Amino acid sequence: MLRKILIRNQSVKQLIIALLGTLLGVLFLLISVHYLLKVNEFGKGSEMLGPNTLIIQKKVSNTTTLQLASTDFSKREIQSISKQPFIEEVLPVVSNNFGVEFATSDPMLPYFRSDVFIQAVNAKFLDVKSKQWNWDETDLVVPIILPRDFLVMLNTFMSSSGIPQISDELAKEVSFSLTLSNPSNKRLFKAKIIGFTNEVSSILVPVTFMEYGNHTFGSNIPQKTTQLMLSGKEKEFGLVEKFLEKQHYESKNSQLVTGRLKSVVSSLLGVIVFISFLTLLFSSFVLIQYIQLLITRNVYEVRTLLRLGYAPKVVCRVFVRYFVLLYLFICFISSVLFVLLKSNLDKQLHTSGVYIDLHFSSVSWATLGVSFVLFYVTTYYSTKRIVMKEF
Amino acid sequence: MNILFNDVLPIPLASMIHSNDSLWNSKVILEKGQKVIVEAQSGRGKSTLIHLLFGVRKDYSGDIMINDKKLSDFSSKEWVDYRKNQISIVFQDLQLFPNLSVLDNLLVKNNLTNHFSEEVLISLVNRVGLAEKLHTRCGQLSMGQQQRIAIIRALCQPFAFLLLDEPFSHLDEKNAQICMEMINEHCQNQNAGWILTSLGSVGIFECDKLIQI
Repeated sequence: MLRKILIRNQSVKQLIIALLGTLLGVLFLLISVHYLLKVNEFGKGSEMLGPNTLIIQKKVSNTTTLQLASTDFSKREIQSISKQPFIEEVLPVVSNNFGVEFATSDPMLPYFRSDVFIQAVNAKFLDVKSKQWNWDETDLVVPIILPRDFLVMLNTFMSSSGIPQISDELAKEVSFSLTLSNPSNKRLFKAKIIGFTNEVSSILVPVTFMEYGNHTFGSNIPQKTTQLMLSGKEKEFGLVEKFLEKQHYESKNSQLVTGRLKSVVSSLLGVIVFISFLTLLFSSFVLIQYIQLLITRNVYEVRTLLRLGYAPKVVCRVFVRYFVLLYLFICFISSVLFVLLKSNLDKQLHTSGVYIDLHFSSVSWATLGVSFVLFYVTTYYSTKRIVMKEF
Repeated sequence: MNILFNDVLPIPLASMIHSNDSLWNSKVILEKGQKVIVEAQSGRGKSTLIHLLFGVRKDYSGDIMINDKKLSDFSSKEWVDYRKNQISIVFQDLQLFPNLSVLDNLLVKNNLTNHFSEEVLISLVNRVGLAEKLHTRCGQLSMGQQQRIAIIRALCQPFAFLLLDEPFSHLDEKNAQICMEMINEHCQNQNAGWILTSLGSVGIFECDKLIQI
């Protein structure tokens, strides 16, 4: 009965425009927040090195080959890099100066051995918990990160031996061994693969293990720093790239391309999120203006009900409930459209070779929830303000 | 419920000269169950008095006390309870919902208070001679018919005082008598009183107090 009295004198055209605006605002916000998060997550998990991590070295040219210029990094050069505002962390990459042999040590796998080159990487640069990337002299098992190319090589060997190839997950379960040696000494460690990398060609080990190896098996010749590992700040990868070019440093291109693309795409998506947010803000504002218009058009009815003894909150509730239900309906329609658009966009991205995570992001649903709560609160207070004026 | 007027003077009437026996600017008590007729010429503040008592207007000096509590100190919650349970009103402009039927207009009020059953409501409509108009939109009724509906609606709640702002201005004497009998019956049932404003003499109705303003 109250709804029949209060929700009348509607301007259908205005209501439809306000609802369409809100629908588009909610939909844009859902899509942009979802893809912003997915782009930022892009590459995580499959790569152990952090998303903005690079290994750099000096370009080898004729001058360096003729030893007219050095390919080593001096302490001063490292300091100068670390002072750049777009660099988060920079540390020298320590390599082995002793013999290392990598072998399979699992009865399920055929025996395979190879002399390898190992490098130490600080846990700061890894996408793993620091506990996993830890080793001390009492540990018999060394955590390692395997270059993906190495696994491909291993699988080539497996298939030539007539044995099924091993997946990433299986490789993490299988036992391997690392043997450190010098002409007079030898020690065997078990090795456990905790992840893979596309960016480095050597096997990565914890810094403590490398220090132990170099101390126990290494020669006394001081090591030169020919490679540095650095992490650039999120969204400032363009600056890192410019800096490297200027200093004639080089790195694997794939990292730079991914970093640059992520920077550009996430900046663009950031702008789209902002525009979507503004769209939603303005369209909700139009909807709330419409609610105020509706109450003003029915002010006689509001006033009469209050004079009949209806509490202001009861009168408010009729308007709030009506518009909250409309907003919920809009959220539902937007969600359905979002799911459809997402599946379409994901398919297109997949065909273009961009493999982003297909799961729905809880943050985009949370954004929807927050927008609903904000709409509810704004509607409630603006309705209450007008109704109380008539009380 | 007693009502005390303590030097009450509506701001718009402040520039007028008021006689010594006027309700304005003096101390007047209206006791529970009293039937009060307020007589005055047009523009002397009869509707203003009703609106002050109902809280529609708050532009006055002095104090209106309801059971020792100032009306101006009422909270929103107290106003809602006051209008729902202690005071009822027939506005001069009736304030019905023109798009609702007669029955719906009465139900809007009665659903809030559950004071009457639907059968009683219909019998009251019959009593004022509007049985065939039960499902007619109020906007289509004559002013006299609407006045009778507004009176029934005002009875759809418990009250200590019923405010009647020129409620019979469009009614003939016979219909006015029927309505007054109905009002008196309901007032008697709950030991309530009424305050009736009128332009001229309403000698056909008995009252306990006659106030000139």
